[in-house]
Amino acid sequence: MNKQVSLAIGAAALAFASLPAQSQGLYQHQPPVPKGPAPKLADGTPDLSGVWLGSGSNDSDITKGLKPGEQVVMLPWAEELVKNRKSKDDPEANCLPSGIPRGSPYPWRIAQTPGIYFIVFEGNIHSWRQIFMDGRKHPDDPDPSWYGHSIGHWDGPTLVVDTVGFNDKFWFDYKGHPHTEQLHTIERYTRTDLGNMTIEVTINDPGAYAKPFTTKGSARIMAGTELLEYICQEDNYDLQHISGPALGPGGGKE
Amino acid sequence: MRLMLTASMLLAALPALAHHSGAAVFDNTKKLNLKGTVTKVDWTNPHAHFFMDVKDESGKVTNWNFELASPSILIRNGWSRHSLKEGDVVTVTGAQARDNTSLGIAQSIVFPDGHKLSFLSAYEDSK
Repeated sequence: MNKQVSLAIGAAALAFASLPAQSQGLYQHQPPVPKGPAPKLADGTPDLSGVWLGSGSNDSDITKGLKPGEQVVMLPWAEELVKNRKSKDDPEANCLPSGIPRGSPYPWRIAQTPGIYFIVFEGNIHSWRQIFMDGRKHPDDPDPSWYGHSIGHWDGPTLVVDTVGFNDKFWFDYKGHPHTEQLHTIERYTRTDLGNMTIEVTINDPGAYAKPFTTKGSARIMAGTELLEYICQEDNYDLQHISGPALGPGGGKE
Repeated sequence: MRLMLTASMLLAALPALAHHSGAAVFDNTKKLNLKGTVTKVDWTNPHAHFFMDVKDESGKVTNWNFELASPSILIRNGWSRHSLKEGDVVTVTGAQARDNTSLGIAQSIVFPDGHKLSFLSAYEDSK
């Protein structure tokens, strides 16, 4: 075994497991992140275009990517469930959507069209979200879904996305932190300069957590690439080989 | 001491495989070091993978399935779908699946001329 190979692999896995934008260690020799001021559209709205890598939470363990001072307090049933979850049951391993706010090591784009924005994911099973920007309210009784019902507005430089109507199927992270259909998320996307974005997500789910908590993550522009195809369902042959408890991507329970 | 601990932690780690834990599939204590002939390359998601015939001392041939990262990660790290092809004779080091099947993760792929690929990257200096 080449020591350097293991070290590089281990370093990538460790970086993946410990940084808010976990995926960045997986990519090597990438062009530098572009520098400059945060751009605006012709009408003055912040321009969020570009290929972004990163997310608003730690997808290995959501409790490791919190805004300072925040705390995750699970209800007893949720705590018990996390202890017993198996890696093979992770929707992510089954090529099902990762919901909100779990990220992936693949980039994504935001497309801003009049009245509606889209988030287009390369990973997260190549799916998309729609965010209504036309001032509508949430429906009274939305059908539970993987991405819920999202409405957005601008708070100065920050895109604020309010989402309800989730199903209870996705996991917040590889460890298996759960949620219920009572989940309500508020995401705050701020492009701080040309190449960088901060993402904060407030998670309020009285069905699974004793109090709301806010995660903090970041994304950066991935220069010199476009979204590529990632049809996870195509050939997911190794699902049948997965065993053991729900694990962080580097292999640890933490 | 702290450095040594870190190094051993790194050596023990299996890679993130982008949509599940590497350690949930592979056992890093079951090291593999196999030479053989590539029989097929599947440039597919969620993992690219290739099959390789390996002959043991008794002459019995086993067709191993070696896992790589996804094509999109590989492409961004210098691989292409032509980097490895049917008929190539290579030496693979990696780890075997926890369930003892002939599935492995290809941590390094070494060609007869000495050039190398990893499960993640084609960049020599990053391996």
